[in-house]
Amino acid sequence: MGRFKALVLAVGGLALCAGLAGCATAPSSPGALTINDPYEQTNRDTLKLNGKIDKYFVVPTVAVYFVLVPEGGRRGVHNFLGNLSLPTIFVNDMLQGEVSRAGKSIWRLALNSTLGLGGFFDPASKIGIPGHGEDFGQTLAVWGVKEGPYLVLPFIGPSNPRDAAGLAVDAFIDPTNQIAFKQHIWWSAGREYFTLLDLKGQTYQTIQGIQRSSVDYYSSLRSLYRQLRNDQIRNGRKQNEDLPDF
Amino acid sequence: MRLSMPLMRRALLVLAILAVAPLLTAKPAAAAQNVAESFVDENIHRGLDILRDKKLSTVQRRDQFETLLLGLVDVRRIAVFTLGQYRRTAPPEDVEAFVGAFRNYAAAAYQSYFAKYTNQTLKVTGSTEVKPTDFIVQTQLSDPNSSQPPAEVDFRVRTDTGKPVLVDVAYQGIWLSLEERDQFVSFLGQNNGNVRTLIAHLSELAVNLGKPSN
Repeated sequence: MGRFKALVLAVGGLALCAGLAGCATAPSSPGALTINDPYEQTNRDTLKLNGKIDKYFVVPTVAVYFVLVPEGGRRGVHNFLGNLSLPTIFVNDMLQGEVSRAGKSIWRLALNSTLGLGGFFDPASKIGIPGHGEDFGQTLAVWGVKEGPYLVLPFIGPSNPRDAAGLAVDAFIDPTNQIAFKQHIWWSAGREYFTLLDLKGQTYQTIQGIQRSSVDYYSSLRSLYRQLRNDQIRNGRKQNEDLPDF
Repeated sequence: MRLSMPLMRRALLVLAILAVAPLLTAKPAAAAQNVAESFVDENIHRGLDILRDKKLSTVQRRDQFETLLLGLVDVRRIAVFTLGQYRRTAPPEDVEAFVGAFRNYAAAAYQSYFAKYTNQTLKVTGSTEVKPTDFIVQTQLSDPNSSQPPAEVDFRVRTDTGKPVLVDVAYQGIWLSLEERDQFVSFLGQNNGNVRTLIAHLSELAVNLGKPSN
């Protein structure tokens, strides 16, 4: 476990350094979205590799998951994984000064862990406390760290040095990674595996639709990722002054 | 100190003008904003009604949706925008041919996007003025059978041509025209800026999008 943590921190440190190095050339306004991709050819190759991993390993596994686990069970797994992420979301809410959202995260954790039977059910959403996402990549953005060049990471997909560093820090913040127990490696692997199944299961049709209607799937994904991240960083607050003129 | 009658009358008149002036200037903007909201509310519901009408055949549904869509959307303006920097260097006849190819592609692509949301309800929640003839109409798309919060869908409406026209749509903060421009500019960059190659590719995509998906 110690070795795993060290590896994660090393990768995170490298990614953070790359992110900071990329600060000087990392515009993020909509008008500049088409640039800042100096590793495009490598990224395109990695996207192809990820496509093959998806085709030969992930999609068949997701298909088996859909056959074996009914919709209610899959929703329970989704809720449970979401509940496990709440402490990390809470810490990032606080680091961004979003006290009201942090309060909601704590309420969700308390209600869903108890009334929601360990997080398999989501009573918090039913009483008007819907979930929201937050991660250390977004926290860095709020603190003024620029995204750096666009990257496609093996197994993970679209990213940038700031978000890659955020992933490593989130893994460090996660309380379940701080609890020492004998079978921790299996717990971590199982959690990542089900997170992958859940994510792919939820996004499969959308991704298929994008691939089908894209002129250039790579640049479509790049644009979608950047716009989505910018929206998440702003917590959905509109920034209409950045919109291009037609 | 007492003011003389003419002076008092003049002071009252100035005060009245000052009080009424914001109303006089705000009224046209507010009216245009309401026009943009009604435009989105009525027409998006009409579009969703067409897509959910089970009495229509596939061809009828496609034709009716396309007619409605092309009447609402300023296809030319969007098409030219999505060419990015290449609109300045492309021959005018290629740009015209591209507008035609984009029209067919947009009709097929938008139908496939909207078809996913036929079981959901759309509610206009407000609007924002970007410029006096440029509005963002905010809506919420919700699934009555889901506990998930509604999705935010924004429509960009321009009124500078005399009637409202749709120029862009954003789902959860992702603007479609930006995504299309990024794709097309990247494609053109890989093909020496040849707009005709893009036209051929778009035409092929429009045909494939019209076919049922696997």
